[in-house]
Amino acid sequence: MQSARRGGIDPHLSITHYDPEADLMLLHFGPQHPSTHGVFRMDLHLDGEVVIKATPYLGYLHRGVEKLCEKLTYVQQTPVVDKNDYVSPMTNEQALNMAFEKLMGIEVPRRARWLRLLLAEMQRISSHLLWLGTFTLDLGGALGGGSTVFLHCFREREMVLDLFEDITGARFHYNTHTIGGNRHDLPAGFAAKARAALDGIEARIGEYEDLSVHHAIFVARTRGVGVLDGDLALELGITGPVLRASGVDHDLRRDAPFHAYDEVPVKVSVERGGDCLARAKVRFAELRESIRLCRAALDGMPEGPICGFKPIRQPTQSKATSGQVYVGIETPRGELGTFLVANPDAPTTPYRLKIRAPSLHALSALPYILPGATVSDAVAILGSLDPIMGEVDR
Amino acid sequence: MGYFTDTLRAMRTTLRNVFRPPTTVEFPDVVRPRAERFRASFALIDDENGESACVGCLTCEKICPSQVIKVKASPKRESPVTGKKRAYADDFVLDLSACIQCELCVQVCNNDAIVMVREPEQPAFNREDLVLGMEKLRANGRGKTVAWGRGTGLQEMQESKPKVEKPAKPKPAPVEAAKVETPAEPAKVEAAPAEPAKVESAPAAAPAEAAPEKSDCSAAEEAP
Repeated sequence: MQSARRGGIDPHLSITHYDPEADLMLLHFGPQHPSTHGVFRMDLHLDGEVVIKATPYLGYLHRGVEKLCEKLTYVQQTPVVDKNDYVSPMTNEQALNMAFEKLMGIEVPRRARWLRLLLAEMQRISSHLLWLGTFTLDLGGALGGGSTVFLHCFREREMVLDLFEDITGARFHYNTHTIGGNRHDLPAGFAAKARAALDGIEARIGEYEDLSVHHAIFVARTRGVGVLDGDLALELGITGPVLRASGVDHDLRRDAPFHAYDEVPVKVSVERGGDCLARAKVRFAELRESIRLCRAALDGMPEGPICGFKPIRQPTQSKATSGQVYVGIETPRGELGTFLVANPDAPTTPYRLKIRAPSLHALSALPYILPGATVSDAVAILGSLDPIMGEVDR
Repeated sequence: MGYFTDTLRAMRTTLRNVFRPPTTVEFPDVVRPRAERFRASFALIDDENGESACVGCLTCEKICPSQVIKVKASPKRESPVTGKKRAYADDFVLDLSACIQCELCVQVCNNDAIVMVREPEQPAFNREDLVLGMEKLRANGRGKTVAWGRGTGLQEMQESKPKVEKPAKPKPAPVEAAKVETPAEPAKVEAAPAEPAKVESAPAAAPAEAAPEKSDCSAAEEAP
């Protein structure tokens, strides 16, 4: 009964052959459960309140995006992949367009690369703020107050979305990246407004910490919960903050610089714990680092064109007849990869577009780290992985 | 041990928030200022003769990822106002209920005919009201605040070498834009002189908004 707690976790445990005398309860967790962050379903086999086995089920949010992209031309796909990771649409666009650029051999101008860095880091701030808000909500509110931190985080996230609105005209689903660069340049007076917003957010991070990682109740709730071993994380292909919280120093922004990260060095934060608390700490450190990177991008934004390819005038203007590329970038959730195969028969559409979603790999850890936890801890563990079902199911 | 002090510290945050001004506004009475580039619904712009600037080139219909635009192009005929031969769109239907507001139709419009509207309030009692026909779109162009983005303006912003003609920007910029567009749009080489689009009479605010925008771009680059 307690084998899971003793460390001998078998994610393929056969429940029918497991202790027939025991009175196990099957709990369907989701897909409409509010703390499943979308439509995610798990079958939890419980002994009392302790999880013995967890089986995740995916596919409730499958929209056929990859197949749709085989039908749309290259320039039409950017607004479609916006909806994959709906908490950080900016990085979806970037990963897709960087794959197109690599396939077609298009150079991105320096200003566009800096602009992309700025947008990616602003998106990371808003994504991590939303994660913190929902995570504390999963824990029942840091002070038992339910939605306190949640609403505080949304207040500051709104500042970032307002900045996006100034640049692109949309709060979400921006469609601001294009093949070869960006579609929208920074408006007048943007730098001052952005600095004011960044100062405002930075000043409030301390308050979030008081309500979460510095608070004894939060620590008691998350320390030692859902411990993920670094080796197991690597084996499962987990990237991003979850991997860094398990003590593996890996960040594509530093290890394989894209955008302008070769000019703006990134300080990668690593925690050794591997538990929910470590994941929260890594994300808090990234929040601060992103604010620093945003300021650096605003300070060093070079002059020049924002698009290295001709502006979109026709749906069929971008063509590729041969080749296959893979591009991976570091999103707020880890390595978002785009694998693209050109179609020789139809040069304006890809033959195959495969999206490697970091959330999918994060969810694959659940059968390993859930056994031994209680049901309330299961909610915390799931929240700490920060899965976005839109990109898991695509 | 730490529970009490930590809770006190957390309560300090709560107290601080008691004295902060509220973040939200009472929406129907107070409307938050909208971004300059905010985009919501659509409009078709009239040219300076009071006719629709749309020439029915079907580019927006072809590029729409959700395929919500249906344009019925008509053969060239004489304009009742100017007497010149030009192309028209007989019908233009945009299904707002399936639109994803990606701005691609605005981006590709070489005549600046279709633009987006800054007013986000677009509730409807039934689905048919969300399908915008030619009349509704043109009424939007006359009555609502037209957004910042124009096809030629967006394309000009993304042109890789706008810095070259920057010193003499005000005058040659439209000519330059027209030159670039002409080969891309063979269907309406003679039909679309592209100048009317620049000086369309639609809302009085539109040219005024478009004009500072050009200087905005250069000013924005000086700012950081």
